[in-house]
Amino acid sequence: MKIRSSVIGLICLLILTSGLLAQNKDENISPQRKQAIDSLALEKVRDLSKYISIIGNKSTPWSESQRVIERAVELFMENSEIGVSSLSKPDVAYFKVREYFDRLMKLNYDRVNIDWYKIQYVSDLERQPDGTYVGVITIYQRFQGFDKEKGLIYEDTTKKDITVYVKRKETQIGGRLIGFWDVLLGDIRVKETSK
Amino acid sequence: MTVIVQKIKSIQWQHLVFILLIAAMAIGSDGCKTTGKMSKKERKAQIELAKKQLTEIINGTSTRPLEAQERTVNEIANKHFKDPELDKMIEDARQVLKKAFAEKEKQKQEQVDAARAELLDMLLNKDDKSADELEAELAKIKAMNLGNKDINDLIAKVEQKIAGMRNKKNVPLKNQLENSFQGIADASKSGNANQVLSLTRNTLQLFSSEDATVLIIISREGSIVDYDKPTTIKRYLEFVRDQKASRNAVDSYQLDGGGKIKELDLIKK
Repeated sequence: MKIRSSVIGLICLLILTSGLLAQNKDENISPQRKQAIDSLALEKVRDLSKYISIIGNKSTPWSESQRVIERAVELFMENSEIGVSSLSKPDVAYFKVREYFDRLMKLNYDRVNIDWYKIQYVSDLERQPDGTYVGVITIYQRFQGFDKEKGLIYEDTTKKDITVYVKRKETQIGGRLIGFWDVLLGDIRVKETSK
Repeated sequence: MTVIVQKIKSIQWQHLVFILLIAAMAIGSDGCKTTGKMSKKERKAQIELAKKQLTEIINGTSTRPLEAQERTVNEIANKHFKDPELDKMIEDARQVLKKAFAEKEKQKQEQVDAARAELLDMLLNKDDKSADELEAELAKIKAMNLGNKDINDLIAKVEQKIAGMRNKKNVPLKNQLENSFQGIADASKSGNANQVLSLTRNTLQLFSSEDATVLIIISREGSIVDYDKPTTIKRYLEFVRDQKASRNAVDSYQLDGGGKIKELDLIKK
């Protein structure tokens, strides 16, 4: 009788331990895995910077811009907003992501250069109670607008903060259970604008 | 019987042969007279026919090859009809044919030049066409039968190139894929849209469909594998083009029954 209850107790302990370990697997990820996730989120921001350059480029065909806008929009969480600032206006205007890209495509310049640099974490990815990792990445954007005859007619540098959400998800592909990290960008807030 | 034999023997054969000879000459001369009358009619008919043939040549309405037309003119000229109008027409026809031959030669030269340019393009293969595409283009040029030594040499070189490309298929699939990704990134960077499209098209041919799954491994620690969000090969190639960079290496792939890739696993370089 004693042996029987001991065996049942051991099984219960094993089940409990494996459950805790499984939970732990997602909660306490190793530094190497965490670094890979950090890099992935940074990479998504770099991807966005390339998309913005393509959309802003006046020589990009309309159909191509539309395709790239779709890819860029997919990087964001629904209802995210992007701030737009100007040296001539004190206020920052916020637009829904798709509207921002549409406006970017139609900017009233003959040529536009948009470069993002110093892309880095200002706030590391931190695990939230729901399992989502949230962090903030800061970027500097150099914007230059050109006129065909007058040349460079406007330029500014804007520091922007991008909230990043990373969540582990699972999906079944070809009979395999795939665990992937879904990176989504949130609002892009303007922190400062200078010449 | 003996009477008959004696009569035959009594015939003077020399006289008989002479008479027959005279008769034959008479018949012969009479035949000539008849032919002479016919040849005038025939000559007239032949001149008419010749004029008709020459008119077609002069007006350019003849559908026969130029060489055949030239033969006709020579045959008419060699008959020496001594008809001033016909002689004038022969001269005109010769001028027309001379121009036509010159035009034909010019056209052939243009075809040779165009074929040469096309073959040189095929050798460079800037648009990165597949061996099958090049072969189809080459077949069109070969069908023109230009009979030009330069062209034949170039055809041989393109054939060699195609054979080389087919041997390239023995390159491991992993390398083919990585080369394609890098090629798309480089072509996009240098703004060569045609090459991007061509490489993309060729790469997609390696897959069961453009929706074949692409998984990107971002970390592997023992049995724990972390992936980026799954995508498709079409989207991945667009991504490489947009980002102008190939950041992932091929980790593994699964083929379908037809030997095409149905699932591709990439890993961060």
